[in-house]
Amino acid sequence: MKLDTLIKFQNMDRRWIFLGMGIAILLPLLFPITLSFNIDERVQSLYDSVEEVPAGSTVFISADFDPASRPELEPFFRANLHHLLRKDVKFVAATLWPSSPPLVMPIFEEITAEYGKEYGKDWCFLGFKDGKELAIKAIGENIPETFPTDIKGNKIADLAVARSFKQAKDFAMIINVSAGFPGTREYVLQIQGQYDLKIASATTAVSGPDYIPFYKAGQLTGLSAGMPGSAQYEQLVFPDGPREGERLMATQAVNVLNVGHLFIIVLILLGNIAFFVTRRVEEAAP
Amino acid sequence: MRSTIPLVLTFLVGIFMVGEYFIPHWRYHQWTAVLLEWGLILAAAAFLLGLFNLVQVNLPKVMNKEEDWGYKLVMLVSLVGTLVVGFMGNTDRLSDGQAYKWLFDFVFVPLNATMFALLAFYIASAAFRAFRARNLEATVLLVAAIIVMIARVPMGEDLPLIGEKLPQFMNWIMDVPNIAARRAIFIGAALGAVATGLRVILGIERSHLGAD
Repeated sequence: MKLDTLIKFQNMDRRWIFLGMGIAILLPLLFPITLSFNIDERVQSLYDSVEEVPAGSTVFISADFDPASRPELEPFFRANLHHLLRKDVKFVAATLWPSSPPLVMPIFEEITAEYGKEYGKDWCFLGFKDGKELAIKAIGENIPETFPTDIKGNKIADLAVARSFKQAKDFAMIINVSAGFPGTREYVLQIQGQYDLKIASATTAVSGPDYIPFYKAGQLTGLSAGMPGSAQYEQLVFPDGPREGERLMATQAVNVLNVGHLFIIVLILLGNIAFFVTRRVEEAAP
Repeated sequence: MRSTIPLVLTFLVGIFMVGEYFIPHWRYHQWTAVLLEWGLILAAAAFLLGLFNLVQVNLPKVMNKEEDWGYKLVMLVSLVGTLVVGFMGNTDRLSDGQAYKWLFDFVFVPLNATMFALLAFYIASAAFRAFRARNLEATVLLVAAIIVMIARVPMGEDLPLIGEKLPQFMNWIMDVPNIAARRAIFIGAALGAVATGLRVILGIERSHLGAD
């Protein structure tokens, strides 16, 4: 192969890479392939910690994600709600992200309706609170003063599911679905240590490595990272596959990642081969 | 006086809030809870401040038809439009059929998701150009990245011969070198935050007051 061709390849128009990536994503969507995968220890631990929550108790869900991180986190979020509700666990939810309420409220309504759960009695959504770390600290200190009303304008004292919980430590556990700041890191730093809280986190693939030290230190009871984490959690919650007419979104999507990752790896390898050949030829030249 | 009062306030509030971690008395927690509430109100007020600032900066540029005034006009119209439909919808704004919900579902969600999805394409392009084994450090990074990338997806586990070991090796990378580096960064950053906090509380650091 000529040196010029190798140099051209290394400097190729990035639109060819975009086209290749587009095809790599599109192909497995059009022709799905299903490969089996193992369950990560961190995801298993998350599942087990939810399993340990006794029926009839209440957990606090902090749904801190937006449409950008929805593909990675919504499958976990849905599977987690199924997991909680079929165990007859109640929940109080809130968010620290302003773009989250319109995204999560329909999911809450849809899944709680499936299990015949009543708003205010079995679950409630307190809505968005600004203040980032301050809001987290306030959730640790005093929930009724931080959220005097829920998203529908009801007083928290009128909601049977929420009125007896003054602080975060009163809940059986905290489940944080976190796409970044403010999220899991801030929950751990602001209130986990002070109140010795049981917190589990589902986060994006990019944030996952950041939170592994918290899991290893026992500050998180479980950790699901990105699409693979969501897919593994789906497998644990639905071991017999999806129910009639439903899909396991992350389990399907994780197979799309196969080809996407493979495309990037092949690109990197080819780029390096071209780089080394070019360098050797240039060094050998008089 | 203009700087003395804020410095004294910062000192008193800072010391008082730190004291919460050392004095586990319910009365003390009641007082810190009040201060937290003030903080939340101030944070909400900062939202309003941001709103006014956005209008103050962009409106004159639209009026004077400065460069890119069209984009700024779209931004201002979107801002006002979303605010109006949000207030009109009141507590029902998230119900189906409400204008606010429509704007969220059919404008914000696709735009937000598209911006993030574009990352996949730019990451592929950046990885191709930047991941070159130019020296030892770059080679270690490259090899670790490829192992993690391939082991994170089901395909990696199904590879012949190495498929079983690959996830174990990826977990070692994530649990040992990754944690070692991140803990070092966390602890360094935490010590830096403590030092900065003390400098602010003691009035040595005054940049937040507008002074150098």
